[in-house]
Amino acid sequence: MTAFFAAGKPNGWWLPHDPNEVIWGTIAFAIVFGVLYVKAFPSMKAAFNGRSDRIESTLNEATGERETAEAERESTKAALADSDSEAARIVAEARDTAERVKVDLITRAEADAVVIRDRAMAEIASARRGAQADLTAEVSRLAAGAAERVVHANLDDTTQQSLIESYISQVGSNN
Amino acid sequence: MSDARISAYADALVAVARAEGATSVVEDELFRFARALEGSDELRSVLSDPHLPTERRTQVVQDLLGGRASSATVALVSMIVATGRISELTRIVDEFITRSADNRGEAVAEVRSAVALTEEQRSRLAEALTTRTGRPVTVRNVIDPTVLGGIVTQIGDTLLDGSVRTRLTQLRDAF
Repeated sequence: MTAFFAAGKPNGWWLPHDPNEVIWGTIAFAIVFGVLYVKAFPSMKAAFNGRSDRIESTLNEATGERETAEAERESTKAALADSDSEAARIVAEARDTAERVKVDLITRAEADAVVIRDRAMAEIASARRGAQADLTAEVSRLAAGAAERVVHANLDDTTQQSLIESYISQVGSNN
Repeated sequence: MSDARISAYADALVAVARAEGATSVVEDELFRFARALEGSDELRSVLSDPHLPTERRTQVVQDLLGGRASSATVALVSMIVATGRISELTRIVDEFITRSADNRGEAVAEVRSAVALTEEQRSRLAEALTTRTGRPVTVRNVIDPTVLGGIVTQIGDTLLDGSVRTRLTQLRDAF
């Protein structure tokens, strides 16, 4: 121990060679430690505690959010399941509607076809009657023209005089 | 032209013809001129052309009728041409002839035929028509090739149609 506290000379050990330095350093350390313990440690402890609280609060919030997200995921999964069945219902309804529309269209097309066919038949009949009338008129015109030409060719002076005499006789006989 | 104006012109013609003491001649000449005018588009066009001076148009009348008709007839036609009423000359002359005949207690028969009637035929036809109508009838013969053959007689509102043209028309309508 003496050797240990021997001052002024290197003692070859791990402590300073001056024991006073040890003493005063220890005292100073104790003072600084005391001050720190009294002044700084509470605020440091409060800071550490606050940090722990914030972390815990953050962890709690994260947990809550995770639970909310899981609830939403479950809800979304349920909604997806519902949407699948809704989609299937819509598709089925659309098929029914399409079938009904198809049937309606076919029915209407058939009715239209009947109307168009009837109209076409009526137009054909009308056209036939018109053609027959035109043909009759043309035949009449040709026959009349032929008759007129024959009459012209035979209307010599004798025939003219005969027609005039016939007319005068007829007017006279009707009195 | 209004009927009142036609009547006024006809009255004027009757008065002039009577004053000249040539009613029958004027009637006959005006009747022939009216029929000639009726059958000639070119003559109607010239006499009714508003771009030709009145003197030129009356000169055409003088050239056409001078020496072939009485001066009263030429003057009456010239008057009608000068007043711009040539398009109504046929109606005026027909009214004039009807009134003149009425004044004599006669009826006028306009007889259309394809060939001219002989005096003997006109006389017999006038006699037959006189018997038929119960009043004296004056026959005015119009040569009308469209009649083809036979005669068409118009007395007032009565039409006695014995023409070949009408028979051909009836034949055509019968088809």
